[in-house]
Amino acid sequence: MKAYAFLLPAIILAAVFSLLPFLKTFISSFFTVSQSGKVLGFAALDNYITLFSDSAFTASVKNTARFTLLFLPLNTVITFMAAALTRKRRKLTWITEAIFISPLAFSLSAFALVFKEIFRGEVSIANRILSTSLLWLDERGSAMAVLVILGLFLDFAIDYILLISSFRSIDRSIIEAAEIDGAGAVRMLFQIETPAIKTMLAITIFMALKDAILISAPVMVLTEGGPFRSTETIMYFYYLEAFKSGNRAYESTISSMMVLSSALLMGAIALIRRKDA
Amino acid sequence: MLKIFRTAIIVALAAFILFPMLYTFSLSFFQGLDFTDSYAHFLPSSFSLRNYILASSDRYFPRYALNSLITAFLTASIRLVITTLSAFAFTHLEFRGRKAIFILLTATLFIPSDAILFENYTTIAKAGMLDTYQGIILPSLFSASSLLFMIGGFSSYDRDVYDAARLDGAGDIRYMSSILIHLTTAVSATIFIQTFIASFGSYLWPLLVTNRPRMRTVQVGITMLGFAVDGETGAQFASIIMITLPFVILLQILRRRVMNAIDIKEDNFR
Repeated sequence: MKAYAFLLPAIILAAVFSLLPFLKTFISSFFTVSQSGKVLGFAALDNYITLFSDSAFTASVKNTARFTLLFLPLNTVITFMAAALTRKRRKLTWITEAIFISPLAFSLSAFALVFKEIFRGEVSIANRILSTSLLWLDERGSAMAVLVILGLFLDFAIDYILLISSFRSIDRSIIEAAEIDGAGAVRMLFQIETPAIKTMLAITIFMALKDAILISAPVMVLTEGGPFRSTETIMYFYYLEAFKSGNRAYESTISSMMVLSSALLMGAIALIRRKDA
Repeated sequence: MLKIFRTAIIVALAAFILFPMLYTFSLSFFQGLDFTDSYAHFLPSSFSLRNYILASSDRYFPRYALNSLITAFLTASIRLVITTLSAFAFTHLEFRGRKAIFILLTATLFIPSDAILFENYTTIAKAGMLDTYQGIILPSLFSASSLLFMIGGFSSYDRDVYDAARLDGAGDIRYMSSILIHLTTAVSATIFIQTFIASFGSYLWPLLVTNRPRMRTVQVGITMLGFAVDGETGAQFASIIMITLPFVILLQILRRRVMNAIDIKEDNFR
């Protein structure tokens, strides 16, 4: 009896703010629902069909894919490089650690405001450093590039921590055995240590993928989907439709699809973890 | 050769990561002309604390910061209590439906809160909790990843202590509050700190559930301070530094613990 009392707050919160909302949105995605939330009739797959024939939605899917294809490889390479190159504890390791974890202290809106300033107009510090004269946030391609860079800054520190702590928890005997075999630094990294952390590497990649397909808040603060809707991602489109246009059909269909897609990714992560354990 | 190459990459990466943060610091001292000059400045043309004075005497900024501190503190403490209670039930007590409840709670891991924003917004709006602290904190009080982390922490110590305490007549609540807490401080501290930082940094949810300026959290508020309109863009960056610097310092003090806090990773694009 006592156990249930201890679990009650968790159960209520999980039900009210996660499980039930998902069930509700999933079920209503198959019905026609009025703006005030009244059920008007069964719609089968009509809501999904309408959504996919809306060019604004398919454009947002393309934008999200574009973001993901740029963000994911860059994020993986950069965080892996940072962790791999600083994994051995040396005298000055504390400096690189201190620098690489510091983005954790910066919030999304702080970074977004700074990035707006760094890439603002023609007389921007970015143009001065890169000797360019781009209007970064006003041109299609470059606005997406800035969004990707912002994404990298938001994910960098945590991925770095996850990777470096798995590098450091590799069984010493594997490394010593390879050293006795005379493995060089490069071989050691790619043939001995990287395979040893492949689970964590896979997990960070899947997590980053999940974050990428769900990206919305950075779009909201940095570009508001512009210029010319070129950075309007799926979840930003969802936000506009649900909160600005009151489109219940789009709200529930996008929500259901995105929950299911990220659940698939989380399921993949759970499988990887289990296989490793 | 390899070593030079390695050092070069590390330095380049460090410069890349540091630049936006150091530049924010520099911007926080910029005066009007530094922003509008014909070339972009790296450093302010003169040194003055004017921006910091402007930011701290702003009508709303201190209130925003206070709102964020209160909601982050409440979220972290209440989540810690809820997590401790349920982790205790799962690791110390026998009861029917244990597995079903566990599956139900961990199923929430698969439902990203960003993807059900509208439903949660409707719930809070219907309950009349827009523009309240409850409205801001309620959806993030339970976290399945914190629960799993806490269960992991609880399972790693010896159960004999519990049995001994029971024999001495200590009830479960007493056992948790006076013994268990001391045995699992590291795990609890990690959950508290991680929740506090995530909650303090969150943007999207507080943006949706607050309309009155007095109830806004600082992450939402700093994007609306209106300094830029008054030609005081520098004050905006001073306010960013004021809310960020404490976390930078805290992070460096707790670096060791943070570096080992493997295994907890939550919504990243806050």
